[in-house]
Amino acid sequence: MGGRGLALVALDQVGKTYAGRGGAWEAVRSFTLDLQEGEFFCLLGTSGCGKTTLLNMLAGFERPTAGRILLDGASVSGPGADRGVVFQGHDSLFDWLTALDNIGFGLRLRGMGRRERREKAGHFLKLVGLSGQEGKHPSELSGGMKQRIQIARALAADPRILLMDEPFGALDALTRATLQGELSRIWKETGKTVFFITHDIEEACALATRIGVMTRGPGGTLKAVIPVDPPFPRDRTSDGFMAVFRQVHALIHAELAA
Amino acid sequence: MSESRLGTVLGYLAGFALLFLVWHLAATWLVRSALFPGPLPVLERAWALIEDDILQEQVLASLRRILQGFLIGSAVGIPVGLAIGSFRPVRALLEPWTEFFRFIPAVAMITVSVIWFGIGEESKVFLIAYTTVFVVIIATAAGVGAVARDKIRAAQCLGASRLQIFALVALPATVPYILTGMRLAMANAFVTIVAAELVASNDGLGKMLWDARLFMQIEDIFVALLALGLLGFTTDRLFRLAIRAFAGRFNPTM
Repeated sequence: MGGRGLALVALDQVGKTYAGRGGAWEAVRSFTLDLQEGEFFCLLGTSGCGKTTLLNMLAGFERPTAGRILLDGASVSGPGADRGVVFQGHDSLFDWLTALDNIGFGLRLRGMGRRERREKAGHFLKLVGLSGQEGKHPSELSGGMKQRIQIARALAADPRILLMDEPFGALDALTRATLQGELSRIWKETGKTVFFITHDIEEACALATRIGVMTRGPGGTLKAVIPVDPPFPRDRTSDGFMAVFRQVHALIHAELAA
Repeated sequence: MSESRLGTVLGYLAGFALLFLVWHLAATWLVRSALFPGPLPVLERAWALIEDDILQEQVLASLRRILQGFLIGSAVGIPVGLAIGSFRPVRALLEPWTEFFRFIPAVAMITVSVIWFGIGEESKVFLIAYTTVFVVIIATAAGVGAVARDKIRAAQCLGASRLQIFALVALPATVPYILTGMRLAMANAFVTIVAAELVASNDGLGKMLWDARLFMQIEDIFVALLALGLLGFTTDRLFRLAIRAFAGRFNPTM
Protein backbone atom coordinates (compact mmCIF):
# COMPACT_ATOMS: atom_id res chain seq x y z
CA MET A 1 0.00 0.00 0.00
CA GLY A 2 1.47 3.29 -1.09
CA GLY A 3 5.00 4.57 -0.72
CA ARG A 4 6.68 4.78 2.63
CA GLY A 5 6.77 8.55 2.71
CA LEU A 6 3.05 8.93 2.15
CA ALA A 7 1.85 6.91 5.12
CA LEU A 8 0.13 8.75 7.98
CA VAL A 9 1.61 6.32 10.48
CA ALA A 10 4.64 4.14 9.91
CA LEU A 11 5.46 1.35 12.34
CA ASP A 12 8.93 0.14 11.51
CA GLN A 13 10.23 -3.09 13.08
CA VAL A 14 8.59 -2.10 16.36
CA GLY A 15 9.32 -4.32 19.35
CA LYS A 16 8.62 -4.16 23.06
CA THR A 17 10.34 -6.24 25.71
CA TYR A 18 9.60 -5.83 29.40
CA ALA A 19 12.35 -6.43 31.91
CA GLY A 20 10.52 -8.35 34.63
CA ARG A 21 11.61 -10.11 37.80
CA GLY A 22 11.19 -13.48 36.12
CA GLY A 23 13.45 -12.40 33.24
CA ALA A 24 12.70 -10.44 30.09
CA TRP A 25 9.25 -10.78 28.53
CA GLU A 26 8.70 -9.97 24.90
CA ALA A 27 5.25 -8.50 24.20
CA VAL A 28 5.67 -7.39 20.57
CA ARG A 29 8.28 -8.48 18.04
CA SER A 30 9.33 -6.71 14.86
CA PHE A 31 5.96 -5.25 13.92
CA THR A 32 5.91 -3.36 10.62
CA LEU A 33 2.83 -1.62 9.18
CA ASP A 34 1.88 1.58 7.33
CA LEU A 35 -1.44 3.26 8.00
CA GLN A 36 -2.93 5.38 5.23
CA GLU A 37 -4.89 8.55 5.72
CA GLY A 38 -8.64 7.92 5.99
CA GLU A 39 -8.52 4.14 6.37
CA PHE A 40 -10.20 2.09 9.09
CA PHE A 41 -7.64 -0.46 10.23
CA CYS A 42 -8.68 -3.24 12.59
CA LEU A 43 -5.94 -5.09 14.42
CA LEU A 44 -7.18 -8.51 15.41
CA GLY A 45 -5.49 -10.96 17.72
CA THR A 46 -5.97 -13.45 20.51
CA SER A 47 -5.63 -12.22 24.09
CA GLY A 48 -2.03 -11.70 25.14
CA CYS A 49 -0.77 -11.22 21.56
CA GLY A 50 0.49 -7.71 22.31
CA LYS A 51 -2.13 -5.67 20.45
CA THR A 52 -2.86 -3.37 23.39
CA THR A 53 0.87 -2.88 23.96
CA LEU A 54 1.10 -1.83 20.34
CA LEU A 55 -1.71 0.71 20.73
CA ASN A 56 -0.09 2.05 23.92
CA MET A 57 3.15 2.61 22.01
CA LEU A 58 1.29 4.31 19.17
CA ALA A 59 -0.49 6.54 21.71
CA GLY A 60 2.85 7.31 23.34
CA PHE A 61 1.98 5.81 26.75
CA GLU A 62 4.82 3.32 26.35
CA ARG A 63 8.03 3.44 24.37
CA PRO A 64 9.16 0.75 21.96
CA THR A 65 12.36 -1.06 22.93
CA ALA A 66 13.09 -1.72 19.25
CA GLY A 67 12.24 -0.03 15.96
CA ARG A 68 10.44 3.28 15.57
CA ILE A 69 7.00 4.80 15.13
CA LEU A 70 6.47 7.78 12.83
CA LEU A 71 3.40 10.00 12.61
CA ASP A 72 3.41 12.34 9.62
CA GLY A 73 7.10 11.52 9.34
CA ALA A 74 7.94 12.62 12.89
CA SER A 75 8.97 10.20 15.61
CA VAL A 76 6.38 9.52 18.34
CA SER A 77 7.91 10.23 21.75
CA GLY A 78 4.92 10.65 24.07
CA PRO A 79 1.18 11.17 24.19
CA GLY A 80 -0.19 14.14 22.28
CA ALA A 81 -3.36 15.72 20.97
CA ASP A 82 -2.60 14.49 17.43
CA ARG A 83 -3.64 10.98 18.52
CA GLY A 84 -7.06 10.61 20.14
CA VAL A 85 -7.62 7.52 22.27
CA VAL A 86 -10.86 5.73 23.13
CA PHE A 87 -10.26 3.47 26.12
CA GLN A 88 -11.82 0.12 26.85
CA GLY A 89 -13.42 0.98 30.22
CA HIS A 90 -15.13 4.08 31.52
CA ASP A 91 -12.39 5.10 33.96
CA SER A 92 -11.10 7.69 31.53
CA LEU A 93 -14.21 9.89 31.71
CA PHE A 94 -14.15 12.90 34.02
CA ASP A 95 -16.94 12.03 36.46
CA TRP A 96 -17.26 15.56 37.82
CA LEU A 97 -17.99 17.07 34.40
CA THR A 98 -21.18 16.90 32.35
CA ALA A 99 -21.29 15.02 29.07
CA LEU A 100 -20.85 18.31 27.20
CA ASP A 101 -17.90 19.43 29.33
CA ASN A 102 -16.25 16.03 28.96
CA ILE A 103 -16.46 16.39 25.20
CA GLY A 104 -15.18 19.98 25.34
CA PHE A 105 -12.28 19.16 27.70
CA GLY A 106 -9.61 19.16 24.98
CA LEU A 107 -10.91 22.48 23.64
CA ARG A 108 -10.75 23.95 27.14
CA LEU A 109 -7.10 22.90 27.43
CA ARG A 110 -6.40 24.95 24.32
CA GLY A 111 -7.96 28.01 25.91
CA MET A 112 -11.04 28.10 23.71
CA GLY A 113 -13.73 30.41 25.10
CA ARG A 114 -16.75 28.97 26.88
CA ARG A 115 -19.33 29.83 24.24
CA GLU A 116 -17.36 28.62 21.25
CA ARG A 117 -16.38 25.50 23.19
CA ARG A 118 -19.95 24.62 24.07
CA GLU A 119 -21.01 25.13 20.49
CA LYS A 120 -18.29 22.91 19.11
CA ALA A 121 -18.72 20.24 21.80
CA GLY A 122 -22.45 20.34 21.09
CA HIS A 123 -21.75 19.51 17.47
CA PHE A 124 -19.84 16.36 18.45
CA LEU A 125 -22.44 15.47 21.07
CA LYS A 126 -24.98 15.46 18.27
CA LEU A 127 -22.64 13.54 15.98
CA VAL A 128 -22.49 10.62 18.44
CA GLY A 129 -26.26 10.72 18.97
CA LEU A 130 -26.36 12.07 22.52
CA SER A 131 -28.59 15.12 21.95
CA GLY A 132 -30.53 15.88 25.12
CA GLN A 133 -27.91 14.28 27.41
CA GLU A 134 -25.50 17.24 27.48
CA GLY A 135 -26.17 18.12 31.14
CA LYS A 136 -25.84 14.59 32.52
CA HIS A 137 -22.84 13.28 34.38
CA PRO A 138 -21.15 9.99 33.42
CA SER A 139 -22.59 8.19 36.45
CA GLU A 140 -26.06 8.92 35.08
CA LEU A 141 -25.34 7.41 31.65
CA SER A 142 -25.36 3.83 30.37
CA GLY A 143 -22.21 1.99 29.28
CA GLY A 144 -22.96 2.57 25.61
CA MET A 145 -23.54 6.30 26.16
CA LYS A 146 -20.25 6.58 28.03
CA GLN A 147 -18.40 5.11 25.06
CA ARG A 148 -20.17 7.60 22.80
CA ILE A 149 -18.87 10.41 25.01
CA GLN A 150 -15.36 9.02 24.76
CA ILE A 151 -15.59 8.94 20.97
CA ALA A 152 -16.96 12.51 20.84
CA ARG A 153 -14.33 13.74 23.30
CA ALA A 154 -11.52 12.29 21.20
CA LEU A 155 -12.97 13.62 17.92
CA ALA A 156 -13.60 17.13 19.30
CA ALA A 157 -9.85 17.58 19.80
CA ASP A 158 -9.48 16.98 16.03
CA PRO A 159 -6.69 14.37 16.13
CA ARG A 160 -4.88 13.04 13.05
CA ILE A 161 -5.84 9.50 14.02
CA LEU A 162 -8.30 7.83 16.38
CA LEU A 163 -6.90 4.93 18.42
CA MET A 164 -9.53 2.61 19.84
CA ASP A 165 -8.70 -0.17 22.31
CA GLU A 166 -11.56 -2.71 22.28
CA PRO A 167 -13.99 0.15 22.95
CA PHE A 168 -17.11 -2.01 22.77
CA GLY A 169 -15.70 -5.08 24.52
CA ALA A 170 -17.62 -4.55 27.77
CA LEU A 171 -21.01 -3.84 26.16
CA ASP A 172 -23.91 -6.22 25.63
CA ALA A 173 -24.33 -7.66 22.12
CA LEU A 174 -27.19 -5.40 21.03
CA THR A 175 -25.57 -2.17 22.23
CA ARG A 176 -22.31 -3.30 20.64
CA ALA A 177 -23.93 -3.84 17.25
CA THR A 178 -25.64 -0.44 17.44
CA LEU A 179 -22.41 1.33 18.33
CA GLN A 180 -20.53 -0.46 15.56
CA GLY A 181 -23.05 0.92 13.06
CA GLU A 182 -22.76 4.41 14.60
CA LEU A 183 -18.97 4.31 14.53
CA SER A 184 -19.00 3.31 10.88
CA ARG A 185 -21.27 6.25 10.10
CA ILE A 186 -19.13 8.67 12.13
CA TRP A 187 -15.99 7.45 10.38
CA LYS A 188 -17.62 8.10 7.01
CA GLU A 189 -18.84 11.54 8.07
CA THR A 190 -15.58 12.75 9.57
CA GLY A 191 -13.11 10.99 7.28
CA LYS A 192 -10.85 10.28 10.28
CA THR A 193 -8.22 7.58 10.17
CA VAL A 194 -9.06 4.88 12.71
CA PHE A 195 -6.82 2.25 14.30
CA PHE A 196 -9.11 -0.17 16.08
CA ILE A 197 -8.14 -3.10 18.27
CA THR A 198 -10.46 -6.04 18.83
CA HIS A 199 -10.58 -9.78 19.30
CA ASP A 200 -14.04 -9.97 17.73
CA ILE A 201 -13.78 -11.21 14.13
CA GLU A 202 -17.28 -10.10 13.16
CA GLU A 203 -16.63 -6.62 14.56
CA ALA A 204 -13.46 -6.31 12.49
CA CYS A 205 -15.20 -7.52 9.32
CA ALA A 206 -18.07 -5.07 9.85
CA LEU A 207 -15.91 -1.98 10.42
CA ALA A 208 -12.53 -2.30 8.72
CA THR A 209 -11.21 -1.37 5.35
CA ARG A 210 -8.19 -3.54 6.22
CA ILE A 211 -7.76 -6.17 8.90
CA GLY A 212 -4.40 -7.04 10.39
CA VAL A 213 -4.13 -10.41 12.10
CA MET A 214 -1.47 -10.90 14.75
CA THR A 215 0.36 -14.07 15.68
CA ARG A 216 -0.10 -15.54 19.13
CA GLY A 217 1.87 -14.01 22.02
CA PRO A 218 4.33 -13.67 23.58
CA GLY A 219 6.31 -11.78 21.01
CA GLY A 220 3.28 -11.26 18.77
CA THR A 221 3.80 -9.76 15.34
CA LEU A 222 1.77 -9.03 12.21
CA LYS A 223 0.84 -12.27 10.47
CA ALA A 224 -1.29 -11.04 7.57
CA VAL A 225 -3.15 -8.00 6.31
CA ILE A 226 -6.46 -8.59 4.56
CA PRO A 227 -8.30 -5.92 2.57
CA VAL A 228 -12.05 -5.84 3.28
CA ASP A 229 -13.93 -4.79 0.18
CA PRO A 230 -17.70 -5.15 0.75
CA PRO A 231 -19.39 -1.72 0.57
CA PHE A 232 -20.72 0.17 3.59
CA PRO A 233 -23.14 -0.19 5.28
CA ARG A 234 -22.18 -3.83 5.41
CA ASP A 235 -24.65 -6.65 5.21
CA ARG A 236 -23.35 -9.24 7.66
CA THR A 237 -25.18 -12.01 5.84
CA SER A 238 -23.84 -11.21 2.36
CA ASP A 239 -21.51 -13.62 0.58
CA GLY A 240 -18.73 -11.04 0.39
CA PHE A 241 -18.87 -10.49 4.16
CA MET A 242 -18.93 -14.22 4.84
CA ALA A 243 -15.94 -14.81 2.60
CA VAL A 244 -13.84 -12.28 4.53
CA PHE A 245 -15.10 -13.66 7.82
CA ARG A 246 -14.06 -17.20 6.85
CA GLN A 247 -10.63 -16.05 5.72
CA VAL A 248 -9.94 -14.14 8.96
CA HIS A 249 -11.47 -16.90 11.06
CA ALA A 250 -9.08 -19.43 9.54
CA LEU A 251 -6.06 -17.20 10.25
CA ILE A 252 -7.07 -16.62 13.89
CA HIS A 253 -7.88 -20.24 14.58
CA ALA A 254 -4.59 -21.35 13.13
CA GLU A 255 -3.03 -19.18 15.89
CA LEU A 256 -5.26 -20.64 18.58
CA ALA A 257 -4.35 -24.17 17.49
CA ALA A 258 -0.66 -23.44 17.06
CA MET B 1 -37.88 16.10 49.18
CA SER B 2 -37.84 12.76 47.44
CA GLU B 3 -39.77 9.82 48.79
CA SER B 4 -36.65 7.94 49.87
CA ARG B 5 -35.27 11.03 51.62
CA LEU B 6 -38.57 11.43 53.49
CA GLY B 7 -38.40 7.76 54.44
CA THR B 8 -34.91 8.26 55.85
CA VAL B 9 -36.03 11.22 57.95
CA LEU B 10 -39.05 9.32 59.28
CA GLY B 11 -36.78 6.37 60.05
CA TYR B 12 -34.42 8.61 62.03
CA LEU B 13 -37.32 10.12 63.98
CA ALA B 14 -38.67 6.67 64.80
CA GLY B 15 -35.17 5.51 65.76
CA PHE B 16 -34.69 8.39 68.18
CA ALA B 17 -38.19 7.89 69.59
CA LEU B 18 -37.32 4.24 70.22
CA LEU B 19 -34.05 5.23 71.90
CA PHE B 20 -35.91 7.56 74.25
CA LEU B 21 -38.53 4.92 74.94
CA VAL B 22 -35.92 2.28 75.82
CA TRP B 23 -34.14 4.82 77.99
CA HIS B 24 -37.40 5.72 79.74
CA LEU B 25 -38.33 2.09 80.35
CA ALA B 26 -34.84 1.25 81.60
CA ALA B 27 -34.88 4.19 84.01
CA THR B 28 -38.37 3.64 85.38
CA TRP B 29 -38.54 -0.19 85.48
CA LEU B 30 -35.07 -1.65 85.28
CA VAL B 31 -32.55 0.52 87.10
CA ARG B 32 -34.72 2.76 89.25
CA SER B 33 -31.84 4.72 90.71
CA ALA B 34 -31.26 8.40 91.32
CA LEU B 35 -27.98 7.90 89.45
CA PHE B 36 -29.77 7.02 86.21
CA PRO B 37 -32.40 9.63 85.42
CA GLY B 38 -34.96 9.01 82.70
CA PRO B 39 -35.40 11.21 79.64
CA LEU B 40 -38.14 13.37 81.14
CA PRO B 41 -36.19 14.89 84.07
CA VAL B 42 -33.16 15.26 81.78
CA LEU B 43 -35.15 17.14 79.13
CA GLU B 44 -36.68 19.26 81.87
CA ARG B 45 -33.21 20.13 83.12
CA ALA B 46 -32.03 20.81 79.58
CA TRP B 47 -34.90 23.24 79.10
CA ALA B 48 -33.99 25.06 82.31
CA LEU B 49 -30.36 25.31 81.21
CA ILE B 50 -31.45 26.64 77.82
CA GLU B 51 -33.69 29.24 79.44
CA ASP B 52 -30.75 30.44 81.53
CA ASP B 53 -28.56 30.61 78.37
CA ILE B 54 -26.12 28.17 79.99
CA LEU B 55 -26.38 25.22 77.62
CA GLN B 56 -26.06 27.37 74.49
CA GLU B 57 -22.92 28.96 75.90
CA GLN B 58 -21.24 25.62 76.55
CA VAL B 59 -22.26 24.25 73.17
CA LEU B 60 -21.01 27.34 71.34
CA ALA B 61 -17.72 27.30 73.25
CA SER B 62 -17.07 23.70 72.19
CA LEU B 63 -18.27 24.18 68.62
CA ARG B 64 -16.17 27.29 68.11
CA ARG B 65 -13.02 25.44 69.12
CA ILE B 66 -13.89 22.46 66.95
CA LEU B 67 -14.53 24.67 63.93
CA GLN B 68 -11.34 26.70 64.32
CA GLY B 69 -9.10 23.70 64.85
CA PHE B 70 -10.84 21.75 62.13
CA LEU B 71 -10.38 24.51 59.57
CA ILE B 72 -6.71 24.99 60.45
CA GLY B 73 -6.10 21.24 60.34
CA SER B 74 -7.83 20.89 56.97
CA ALA B 75 -6.07 23.95 55.52
CA VAL B 76 -2.72 22.36 56.37
CA GLY B 77 -3.71 18.76 55.67
CA ILE B 78 -5.13 19.14 52.16
CA PRO B 79 -2.06 20.72 50.48
CA VAL B 80 0.32 18.43 52.35
CA GLY B 81 -1.75 15.40 51.35
CA LEU B 82 -1.78 16.55 47.72
CA ALA B 83 1.99 16.98 47.78
CA ILE B 84 2.54 13.54 49.35
CA GLY B 85 0.22 11.92 46.81
CA SER B 86 1.76 13.71 43.83
CA PHE B 87 5.49 13.63 44.45
CA ARG B 88 7.41 10.52 45.41
CA PRO B 89 10.27 12.34 47.21
CA VAL B 90 7.75 14.29 49.30
CA ARG B 91 6.04 11.04 50.20
CA ALA B 92 9.31 9.44 51.25
CA LEU B 93 10.17 12.49 53.33
CA LEU B 94 6.82 13.06 55.05
CA GLU B 95 5.41 9.57 55.40
CA PRO B 96 7.44 8.92 58.56
CA TRP B 97 5.82 12.05 60.03
CA THR B 98 2.27 10.98 59.32
CA GLU B 99 2.91 7.36 60.25
CA PHE B 100 4.58 8.43 63.51
CA PHE B 101 2.13 11.06 64.70
CA ARG B 102 -1.02 9.22 63.79
CA PHE B 103 -0.21 6.70 66.53
CA ILE B 104 0.03 9.45 69.14
CA PRO B 105 -3.63 10.24 69.83
CA ALA B 106 -4.68 13.82 70.47
CA VAL B 107 -5.72 12.79 74.00
CA ALA B 108 -2.10 11.94 74.73
CA MET B 109 -1.09 15.39 73.53
CA ILE B 110 -3.36 17.19 76.02
CA THR B 111 -0.62 17.43 78.64
CA VAL B 112 1.98 19.05 76.38
CA SER B 113 -0.66 21.18 74.81
CA VAL B 114 -1.67 22.64 78.18
CA ILE B 115 1.96 23.15 79.16
CA TRP B 116 2.66 24.96 75.88
CA PHE B 117 -0.56 26.92 75.39
CA GLY B 118 -2.19 27.10 78.83
CA ILE B 119 -5.84 26.30 79.47
CA GLY B 120 -7.18 29.00 77.11
CA GLU B 121 -8.49 28.61 73.58
CA GLU B 122 -5.13 27.94 71.96
CA SER B 123 -4.55 24.57 73.58
CA LYS B 124 -7.96 23.27 72.49
CA VAL B 125 -7.67 24.62 68.96
CA PHE B 126 -4.20 23.09 68.70
CA LEU B 127 -5.51 19.69 69.77
CA ILE B 128 -8.40 19.75 67.30
CA ALA B 129 -6.08 20.86 64.50
CA TYR B 130 -3.68 18.06 65.51
CA THR B 131 -6.38 15.40 65.44
CA THR B 132 -7.68 16.71 62.09
CA VAL B 133 -4.50 17.19 60.12
CA PHE B 134 -3.21 13.62 59.89
CA VAL B 135 -6.55 12.08 58.97
CA VAL B 136 -6.98 14.66 56.21
CA ILE B 137 -3.41 14.18 54.97
CA ILE B 138 -3.77 10.41 54.72
CA ALA B 139 -7.19 10.55 53.01
CA THR B 140 -6.03 13.20 50.52
CA ALA B 141 -2.82 11.37 49.63
CA ALA B 142 -4.78 8.14 49.15
CA GLY B 143 -7.20 10.00 46.87
CA VAL B 144 -4.41 11.31 44.66
CA GLY B 145 -2.98 7.80 44.43
CA ALA B 146 -6.36 6.39 43.42
CA VAL B 147 -6.89 8.60 40.35
CA ALA B 148 -7.49 6.17 37.49
CA ARG B 149 -4.54 5.88 35.10
CA ASP B 150 -6.84 6.15 32.10
CA LYS B 151 -8.08 9.57 33.27
CA ILE B 152 -4.55 10.92 33.23
CA ARG B 153 -3.81 9.26 29.91
CA ALA B 154 -7.01 10.64 28.39
CA ALA B 155 -6.02 14.15 29.47
CA GLN B 156 -2.53 13.64 28.00
CA CYS B 157 -4.05 12.62 24.67
CA LEU B 158 -6.13 15.77 24.69
CA GLY B 159 -2.95 17.81 25.07
CA ALA B 160 -2.90 18.50 28.81
CA SER B 161 0.28 19.80 30.44
CA ARG B 162 1.44 18.45 33.80
CA LEU B 163 -0.04 21.46 35.58
CA GLN B 164 -3.34 21.05 33.73
CA ILE B 165 -3.46 17.37 34.65
CA PHE B 166 -2.97 18.26 38.31
CA ALA B 167 -5.46 21.12 38.44
CA LEU B 168 -8.14 19.79 36.09
CA VAL B 169 -7.93 16.02 36.63
CA ALA B 170 -6.09 14.91 39.78
CA LEU B 171 -7.50 17.61 42.04
CA PRO B 172 -11.21 17.25 41.20
CA ALA B 173 -10.88 13.46 41.18
CA THR B 174 -9.52 13.68 44.74
CA VAL B 175 -12.29 15.89 46.17
CA PRO B 176 -14.49 13.00 47.39
CA TYR B 177 -11.53 11.53 49.29
CA ILE B 178 -10.73 14.89 50.87
CA LEU B 179 -14.33 15.35 52.02
CA THR B 180 -14.43 11.84 53.43
CA GLY B 181 -11.20 12.49 55.32
CA MET B 182 -12.66 15.70 56.72
CA ARG B 183 -15.76 13.87 57.83
CA LEU B 184 -13.69 11.31 59.74
CA ALA B 185 -11.60 14.12 61.21
CA MET B 186 -14.75 15.87 62.40
CA ALA B 187 -15.80 12.75 64.32
CA ASN B 188 -12.35 12.64 65.93
CA ALA B 189 -12.66 16.31 66.82
CA PHE B 190 -15.73 15.62 68.95
CA VAL B 191 -13.88 12.96 70.92
CA THR B 192 -10.87 15.20 71.39
CA ILE B 193 -12.70 18.36 72.46
CA VAL B 194 -14.47 16.62 75.34
CA ALA B 195 -11.26 15.08 76.61
CA ALA B 196 -9.43 18.40 76.35
CA GLU B 197 -12.18 20.34 78.12
CA LEU B 198 -12.44 17.71 80.83
CA VAL B 199 -8.80 18.18 81.72
CA ALA B 200 -8.41 21.90 81.39
CA SER B 201 -11.00 24.47 80.44
CA ASN B 202 -13.21 27.27 81.72
CA ASP B 203 -16.22 26.38 79.60
CA GLY B 204 -17.51 23.96 76.98
CA LEU B 205 -19.42 20.69 77.15
CA GLY B 206 -16.44 18.80 78.59
CA LYS B 207 -16.14 21.34 81.38
CA MET B 208 -19.88 21.03 82.01
CA LEU B 209 -19.50 17.26 82.36
CA TRP B 210 -16.62 17.69 84.80
CA ASP B 211 -18.38 20.26 86.97
CA ALA B 212 -21.57 18.22 87.07
CA ARG B 213 -19.57 15.24 88.31
CA LEU B 214 -17.95 17.33 91.05
CA PHE B 215 -21.32 18.52 92.30
CA MET B 216 -23.14 15.26 91.58
CA GLN B 217 -25.62 16.96 89.25
CA ILE B 218 -26.51 13.79 87.44
CA GLU B 219 -29.11 15.44 85.19
CA ASP B 220 -26.51 17.94 83.98
CA ILE B 221 -24.20 15.11 83.00
CA PHE B 222 -26.94 13.56 80.93
CA VAL B 223 -27.81 16.89 79.33
CA ALA B 224 -24.19 17.28 78.25
CA LEU B 225 -24.08 13.72 76.88
CA LEU B 226 -27.32 14.26 75.01
CA ALA B 227 -26.03 17.52 73.55
CA LEU B 228 -22.82 15.84 72.39
CA GLY B 229 -24.65 13.01 70.69
CA LEU B 230 -27.08 15.31 68.93
CA LEU B 231 -24.37 17.74 67.85
CA GLY B 232 -22.16 14.99 66.48
CA PHE B 233 -25.07 13.37 64.70
CA THR B 234 -26.19 16.65 63.13
CA THR B 235 -22.69 17.65 62.04
CA ASP B 236 -22.05 14.27 60.46
CA ARG B 237 -25.36 14.37 58.58
CA LEU B 238 -24.58 17.86 57.32
CA PHE B 239 -21.23 16.59 56.11
CA ARG B 240 -22.85 13.71 54.35
CA LEU B 241 -25.29 16.06 52.67
CA ALA B 242 -22.40 18.27 51.58
CA ILE B 243 -20.50 15.29 50.19
CA ARG B 244 -23.61 14.24 48.28
CA ALA B 245 -24.19 17.74 46.94
CA PHE B 246 -20.61 18.42 45.92
CA ALA B 247 -19.37 14.97 45.17
CA GLY B 248 -22.35 12.72 44.63
CA ARG B 249 -21.75 12.77 40.94
CA PHE B 250 -18.07 12.05 41.46
CA ASN B 251 -18.84 8.80 43.15
CA PRO B 252 -22.41 7.55 43.39
CA THR B 253 -21.54 4.96 46.07
CA MET B 254 -20.84 7.64 48.64
